[in-house]
Amino acid sequence: MNSLRLKLAFLVAFIVIASLSPSSALQVAQTGQGPTLASIGPLAFGAEGTLFTADNQGAAIFALDLGEQANGGAAGAKSLDALDEKLAALLGTGAREIAVTDLVVHPRTRNAYVSVMRGQGAGAAPALFRIDGAGAIVNVTLQSLKFQKVELPNAPAANTAARTNPRTQVITDMAFADGRLWVAGLSNEEFASKLRAIPYPFATVDRGVSVEIYHGNHKAVETRSPINAFVPYTLNNQQHLIAGYTCTPLVKFPISDLKAGEKVRGTTIAEFGAGNRVLDMIVYRKGGQEFLLTANNSRGVMKIPTHTFASAAPITTPVETETGGVPFEKVTSMTGIEQLDKLDDNNSIVVARTVAGGLNLQVAALP
Amino acid sequence: MVVRLLCAAAVTGSLVIATACGRSAGSTSEPAIRLSSTENGGAAYVEVTGLSGEALDSLRDAELTADQWSGILRVAVSDAAPGMLGNYSVADSALRFTPMYPLDPGRQYQVRFDPAHLPTAGVAGGSAIVASVGQPAQHTTPSTVVARVYPTSDAVPENLLRMYIEFSGPMGWPSGVEHMKLLDEKGKEIPGAFLPLDYEFWNPDHTRFTAFFDPGRVKAGILPNQQMGRALNTGRSVTLVISPEWRDQHGLPLKEEFRRVLRVGPAEDKPLDTGSWSIQPPSVGQRDGVVVTFHKPLDYGLLMRALGVTREGVTVEGQIVVDQAETRWTFTPREPWRTGAYHLLALDILEDVAGNQIGRAFEVDNFETVDKSPNPTSITIPFRATAASGVK
Repeated sequence: MNSLRLKLAFLVAFIVIASLSPSSALQVAQTGQGPTLASIGPLAFGAEGTLFTADNQGAAIFALDLGEQANGGAAGAKSLDALDEKLAALLGTGAREIAVTDLVVHPRTRNAYVSVMRGQGAGAAPALFRIDGAGAIVNVTLQSLKFQKVELPNAPAANTAARTNPRTQVITDMAFADGRLWVAGLSNEEFASKLRAIPYPFATVDRGVSVEIYHGNHKAVETRSPINAFVPYTLNNQQHLIAGYTCTPLVKFPISDLKAGEKVRGTTIAEFGAGNRVLDMIVYRKGGQEFLLTANNSRGVMKIPTHTFASAAPITTPVETETGGVPFEKVTSMTGIEQLDKLDDNNSIVVARTVAGGLNLQVAALP
Repeated sequence: MVVRLLCAAAVTGSLVIATACGRSAGSTSEPAIRLSSTENGGAAYVEVTGLSGEALDSLRDAELTADQWSGILRVAVSDAAPGMLGNYSVADSALRFTPMYPLDPGRQYQVRFDPAHLPTAGVAGGSAIVASVGQPAQHTTPSTVVARVYPTSDAVPENLLRMYIEFSGPMGWPSGVEHMKLLDEKGKEIPGAFLPLDYEFWNPDHTRFTAFFDPGRVKAGILPNQQMGRALNTGRSVTLVISPEWRDQHGLPLKEEFRRVLRVGPAEDKPLDTGSWSIQPPSVGQRDGVVVTFHKPLDYGLLMRALGVTREGVTVEGQIVVDQAETRWTFTPREPWRTGAYHLLALDILEDVAGNQIGRAFEVDNFETVDKSPNPTSITIPFRATAASGVK
C-alpha cells in the first residue's frame, strides 16, 4: 500500500536545559591515582591524549592520564585476527567470557585502545589494552594512572530507597569538542534520552547542562529517540555535533546554541532507513573531499560526502523514498563492523565480527 | 629438553594441586607446581616449590620483563596461548604467580616452569616441568529462572512500551532482546518487536533487564509504525518466550524456557491523572501502610522510584510494595505515622506501561510543552493519618 510506504521525515528538537539546583550539579568525586572502575566503555580521546572512559556500572566518567603507558609502542596499529581469543587468553579466560566494549585511536601515537569487560554479570571486571603498530598487545595498568572522575547526576527519586540505586542511565557515546566532553545517555526506566556537556578539566565543573532530545515527524510527534553515535564537526566555521539516531535520522546542531535555558532544534539532514541504528561514525578526508563514515547494524557501512551538510535542506515534509536527504553510498567491502575509528589519514580500524562469530581487529583503507 | 608431565592431582579444599609424575610430591629438592590460595579461600595463585635458596634469591632480586618472567613460569589457558596477565613474586620459599583476574572455576590452566630461564640457570640448570591446574566448577547445574515479568498482568495495551524481566539470580552476557521472542497465535514469531540496542539495561546486581518495544512501531503515525504496524494488536494474544540460552553469571543457561501468554487490549493513550488515584490513609501511631490505588497499571520500575511520601518537605523513610498488577502502591514508614499533614510526592517522570506520564501522553506534540528543567517537576497530594480506633 502506498500509504504504508509513505516515508515520514523526522524533525528533531533539542531542548537544552540548565538547572541551578544543587541536585543537578555534577560533582567531582575524586582526583588521584589508581581509578576504581566498575565497568569500562564507551571510550573517547581528548586532543591531548586524555582518555575518557565511561563507567556505566558506576554511573561515572573517568579522565585517564595514560602517562608513560601511552609511550613505547610502535606507532600505529596492526590488524590482528582472533582479537577476542588473544585478549581472553591474556585475561585468563575464554573468548565467550569477554566483551569488547569500544575501540579508539590515540591522537598522537595512533595506537589502538580496546576496552574489555572480563567475566559475567555483576562480577565482570574492566580491562584496557593498547595495540601498537607491531601488533603487540599491552595491558594498560589502570592502578598506576592519574585520573579525574565525575559522577553522573543521580536519577531523580522520590523516596530514599530508590536513592540507593542511582544507576539508571546507560552512556551510549562520548566525544570531546570545544573543551567539553559530550555524553549521550539513555535511561533504563523512563524512556528518556539525555545529552550532557561536561567541561574538562572536571575540576572546574560545578554544574552540568542537560539536553533532552525529542524526535518526531513533521507533525511534531515526539519519540524520545536515543542517540546511538555522534561526532563533532565544523560547518561554516561553527562547531556542530552530527548525531545518528535509532531508525536512522542524521541530525546536525551547533553546540554554540546549547546554552543554559535555551531551546535548540536540531536539523534532520538525512534518513538512512527504518530498522537500523548507527554503531559508530568517523569523519575523514580523501581526494580533497570530506566524508562521514557510519557503521550500521543492519544497513552496513555508509560513506556520506559532508560538503552538503551545511546547505542541506532540513527534512520537514514526508518523503516517498526509502531513504532521503544528503546522498550516501554503501561500502560493501566492510562487513560485520562492531567498532570503528579513524586510524590515520588513509586508514580506518575496526573490530569486525566474523561469520564464525569471532572478532578480528582490521586495518582497512578509508573508502 | 625433557618435559615431565604432571599427572597426579589431589584436591585440597577447593584447589587442585598438581605434582610431578614420578617425583616425590612436595620434595624440597625438586621443583613442583601447585595451585594455592590465600587464607580463608581467597584468590588462587600458582606456586613453584622446591627451588633452591640461591634460585629464590636471584628471583627476588631480579628485574625482569614480563616476557622474561613468562619464560620462567608461564600460566596460560592453553598450551598455544600466551601467558596470562599477573604478578610474580617470591613468597613462602616459592616462586609465586598471582593472576590479575581470578581464575575461572572449572577451567584448566596450563603451567610451565623452565629453570633454564632462571637468572641462576647456569648454576641450577634442570629441565622444564608442566602441569595442568584448576579449581573445580562451582556451578554445573542450571538453576536460574525468570522469576517475574513486568507488567505482571496478562492483559496489556497494544502500545506497551517496555517490560522488565526479573531473574532469580544475576545474569551474564551476551544477553538482551535476542533471547526474547513474541509469538503470534499461530506460534509464528513477530519480528522486530523489541528495540535492539548495543547496550544493555540492567539494574546494578544484574537481576533485572529492561526490554523496550520499538517505539517507532508503538507510536502511531511515524514510518516504522506505518510500515510494520504495532507488534501487539488489540484482541489478539501473543506469547512471550525467553530462551534458556540466556546465560547466568556462571555462564550456565536458564533452568528452563519461560513462556507467558499476553492478551492484548486497546492502546492506552491518556496521560496519568493523579485526580483519579485513591489514597487510603494510614493510622496515627501505627506503622500500617498508606495505600495508593491507580485506575490502570503503572510502570513498576518508576513506581519504585518516582513515588514517595514527604512530611514538611522532608522525605519520609520507609518501604514500598507494589502489587495488584501494578495498580496498588503501599508505603510503610520506618517510624509510626504522626498527626499532621503528609504529602504523596509523585515525580512527573512516573509513567504507565505505555509511556504516558503525568499530564503528558506519549502520543502528543511536545515541542512546545517539554520540561523546562532537567529535574522533573513533581506533584504533591496531601493526606493525613487518621486517628486509629483503639490507639491510646
